[in-house]
Amino acid sequence: MRKALEFQGVHKSFGQNSALVDAFFSAHWGEVHALLGENGAGKSTLMNIASGLYAPDKGLVKISDKPVIIDGPQAANDFGVGMIHQHFKLVENMTVLENIVLAHGQGGWRKSLQRVRKQISDISNEIGFDIDPDAQVNTLSVSEQQRTEIIKVLIGGAKILILDEPTAVLTDEESTGLLDQLQIFAEQGKCIILITHKLREVFSHANRVTVMRGGKTIDSGQSPKNLTPEKLSKLMVGEPTEISRISYSPPKETVLELNGIFSKRDNGHTALDNFNLKLNAGQVYGLAGVGGNGQTELAEILMGVRSMNSGEFILSGTPLTNPSPSRVRALGLTCVPAERYIYGLAGDLSVMDNCVITHLKSGQFGTFFWTNRRAINKETKQAIIDSEIHGAEPSTRARLLSGGNAQKLVLARELAGSATVLLAHSPTRGLDVRACTAVHEALRKSASNGTAVLLLSEDLDEIFAISDQIGVINNGRLVGEFNSPADRSKIGHLMVSHH
Amino acid sequence: MEFLTNWLAFMPVFAAPLVLAALGLIINERAGILNLGAEGIMLCGALIGIISYIELGESSALGFIFGSLAGVILGFVFGFLVVVLRTNQVVTGITFVILGSGLTGLMGIPWVNKAVSGITPIYIPHLTDIPIIGRFLFGQDILVYVTIIFVVFVWLFLYRTRTGLELRAVGENPQAADANGINVEAYRLLAATIGGAFIGLSGAYLALAMAKIFVLDMTQGRGWIAIALVIFARWMPWRAIIGGALFGGIEALIPRLKATGVPIPQYYLEMAPYLATLAVLIYAALRLRSGQDAPKALGIPYVREDRK
Amino acid sequence: MISISLNFIRRRRLTIEVRQRISLGLHVSILLGALFFGIGVCIAILLGRGVELSSIYEEFIVFTFFDSAGISSVIVESIPLVLVGLAAAVAFRVNFWNIGIEGQMFMGAIGASVVALFDIGPEILRLPIMFIFAAIFGIFWASGPAILKVRLNVNEVISTLLLNYIAYYFVLNQLFGPWKDPRDKFPHGEQYDIAERLPAIGWEQVHYGVAVAAFSFIVVWWIIERSRFGISSRFVGVNPKMALAVGLPVSTIVAGSAMASGSIAGAAGFVIAAATEYRLTFTMAAGYGFSGIVIAFLAGNRPITTVIVAFLMGSLFVAGESMKVFYSLPDALVGLIQAIIVLSVTASEFFVRYRLRLASFGDT
Repeated sequence: MRKALEFQGVHKSFGQNSALVDAFFSAHWGEVHALLGENGAGKSTLMNIASGLYAPDKGLVKISDKPVIIDGPQAANDFGVGMIHQHFKLVENMTVLENIVLAHGQGGWRKSLQRVRKQISDISNEIGFDIDPDAQVNTLSVSEQQRTEIIKVLIGGAKILILDEPTAVLTDEESTGLLDQLQIFAEQGKCIILITHKLREVFSHANRVTVMRGGKTIDSGQSPKNLTPEKLSKLMVGEPTEISRISYSPPKETVLELNGIFSKRDNGHTALDNFNLKLNAGQVYGLAGVGGNGQTELAEILMGVRSMNSGEFILSGTPLTNPSPSRVRALGLTCVPAERYIYGLAGDLSVMDNCVITHLKSGQFGTFFWTNRRAINKETKQAIIDSEIHGAEPSTRARLLSGGNAQKLVLARELAGSATVLLAHSPTRGLDVRACTAVHEALRKSASNGTAVLLLSEDLDEIFAISDQIGVINNGRLVGEFNSPADRSKIGHLMVSHH
Repeated sequence: MEFLTNWLAFMPVFAAPLVLAALGLIINERAGILNLGAEGIMLCGALIGIISYIELGESSALGFIFGSLAGVILGFVFGFLVVVLRTNQVVTGITFVILGSGLTGLMGIPWVNKAVSGITPIYIPHLTDIPIIGRFLFGQDILVYVTIIFVVFVWLFLYRTRTGLELRAVGENPQAADANGINVEAYRLLAATIGGAFIGLSGAYLALAMAKIFVLDMTQGRGWIAIALVIFARWMPWRAIIGGALFGGIEALIPRLKATGVPIPQYYLEMAPYLATLAVLIYAALRLRSGQDAPKALGIPYVREDRK
Repeated sequence: MISISLNFIRRRRLTIEVRQRISLGLHVSILLGALFFGIGVCIAILLGRGVELSSIYEEFIVFTFFDSAGISSVIVESIPLVLVGLAAAVAFRVNFWNIGIEGQMFMGAIGASVVALFDIGPEILRLPIMFIFAAIFGIFWASGPAILKVRLNVNEVISTLLLNYIAYYFVLNQLFGPWKDPRDKFPHGEQYDIAERLPAIGWEQVHYGVAVAAFSFIVVWWIIERSRFGISSRFVGVNPKMALAVGLPVSTIVAGSAMASGSIAGAAGFVIAAATEYRLTFTMAAGYGFSGIVIAFLAGNRPITTVIVAFLMGSLFVAGESMKVFYSLPDALVGLIQAIIVLSVTASEFFVRYRLRLASFGDT
């Protein structure tokens, strides 16, 4: 087997953060090569270099053993590299056909349309996809959009297919279908690179696996047959994470109740479908689920930035109908949002401002007319020490903090005072192991202080590590509820099976 | 009767510059560039149009060509600033208005307030003489008809060519366009430049066909009205004609009403186009929910390796 | 040889990177470089118009800064500029692009003139009442676009600008009609009585507009830098999504800032009417709107720097004024100079925000 895509000594940094440090990688023709690693391990960055989106700071890229310069997506296409990004690169209000013409049109408009229309139907027939070329992309389901992307790269003549976490958005059945299809592509001689953090996929469908951690290649090119899940997860995570089982404790009073919540997405699809939830003081409730099953909408409803179509929302005994964010906060709900720099922090403002913005009303930092800057400064310094926020002074711009420290800052702010409910949405996404542990400890500690913590996470390890009670969200519904310790495989099954 | 004939006859002359500028702005905004400097670019187009008309043997054609060339240059500079140097589009746009006013104020002195004969309307025997609609349909200057052809061309370009498709993709989702191998910067720069040509032409038209004179700051907010018109037109070229006709109709009404001696205070009449524009903006926001039609990446600079 | 060197070029691609951190020294030198570049271009334009270098130096430096009459006229010129600069800064901080400062100034002047015309209130309180009316009229004129923006998301750049024209034509209508000066029948308002004019403070021509500017500055500084509203509005300006999510009253803050901006612009109209023109005129606001934008932009929307930049801008106005007379330069010159300086500074920010980097392919 000849080498298809190879990286040698690749470095890449964004500002001061090194994303890749001397990374290497090599995949062969005719194989499904899994690229495994945690969030932030550098997998996507490495492959974005192959797709021409990022330029490496240093390092060698080879295709079929020849050094190449991939200085743009067009060049990548010319070299036969096709990448399906995690966030699809489709123009939403254009049709499937237009999107593919956009990528691979040649010659005149009519000719392009005709040719691409034929290519779509040819390829669809060949691989058994059913896609309406005239459908507008924003009317398609996620898996249909993914198929559009796959057809797009195939029409572009891609021989090296890179898929970035393709199954994260799919149901179980769809995932298996996709992975089987990828295996067929490999058997036809193509090189398939599967970026994933799911061990299961590696063992079921990959011929070989490369593991990355912290921007470095940890293990390159072993066959999964020679590995055990334990060994592989150890390679992936480094030190084995101590999974402390939480024992069941009897519930205290209910502080948050959701009954029969319905909510639609912006595109009109149903996001939450008769969703029910009961949250008790002093517990960590882990809501497990594959991303895109309604968690974002749930979080936004709780934060008060999205209105629900129907249902009951009772917070601290107060029934609410589409409350404003300030109302929700006044009733004691605080939030660690998934998008740290969108909902959590203002990156261009100081740590000090960010640290106290939600507490100004409490009066501890002066009156409306005169804020007490000394008190704010003191409070911030204390928070920096208590929460071990490294690299921060009160006047530092929040954007300059590393991911973990930024998250600690958000946590410090949201946990200051007495939160009744803390909503934590993917709180450790993109953080390193140590920062993860710190975040988990903080969440546990706040629960023991009586806060009800609602943890929305795609990461089952995280859910199991700190939850008293575990619920599963699938397709906008609560499909199962367990008390810790719960059966992991059962939960995993509920997460991905069709409902 | 005569009132209606005259009003209809003059409406296209007032509508054409607005439609031309709106076309240029549609091309800009479809690629994601918000050019608030239209007013300034129009002024430069007007001055250069007049200068070339006067200095190059009274040829309207040359006036229009050089007027749009001025627009090309300014459009390119604007594009370079906002696309390559990623300056704030609002600040840069507003500054371009003053830049246009300042440049024409500084350079234009020798040509200010010199009446020219400019472009004359066509006359087709019989057709032009049809009552009421004759002059409206068959008695306009050539550029009015060219404007309509331009509208068709721009529509064809945006919706019936690959380049147009790619340009729209750049304005909707530059990340996707980039990943598909489309050079986002190049397209935006191109859009700014071509858009500038239309805006410059619109200015030259103001000077050579509508006013037949160059006066300092003669655009009188028409660049801004064109920007509002684009919102009203929901970024569709052919709808710009409707909007143009609406505003052109109002502007054409002012001198007509003054001539008839209807006792409406003059300055309230002059105010009408701006009030109408404001009304249209509110209507667009209420009824058309214009936010949905706007290109998604309008006004947002694109940096590939941008990581927050 | 050629192919090798071409190959070398192809192997290195210029990429743009967001700068995480910039040293103060570099930041300042980029800014100074841009300023010098802009000033250089302006000087070149002046030289091109036959102005001599030595007289540029004399007008801009010697006569404006090293001479009591010069400094005082700069201060007088700066008073309305400080106000419009503050007006723009207050709105821009929350991303409300108030281009309607001139219209709001007209409204302020109308408010003051109404008080003067109808002799509202006792004479001792006449000036404060005029000031309050001016501020309220300015707020009124800004409130429309503010409400349209927060309720219907109507682009405030266009709406505020359109209101400039509407205010202008309204002033014309009044001045050519009911408010025409009864004495000389000229299209300007009736002259204010002595009690309706801002008195001189006793040093050269400096008048009590200085107090109005100082008062406005202190209030703005206090609101922006010290009040809870100020901290909250910082978040609204930088990250509106987050501001909303953490429960800040975003619409109120945006609309409130816009109206505050209108009130300061109205005060600027009052100062010009009551201290310079002594009446309502239709040329009084010309150019101030853009000057306000320029000042706020160059000052980074901070109150203290706004005052400094406004003072420098005032010296440009004073020098420009006398240059215009000596060399018969057009009015447009000052606007052009401002535009060139803004463009060079805004372009230079690229080098502050981003870093160009040579990315290399194929090196091991």
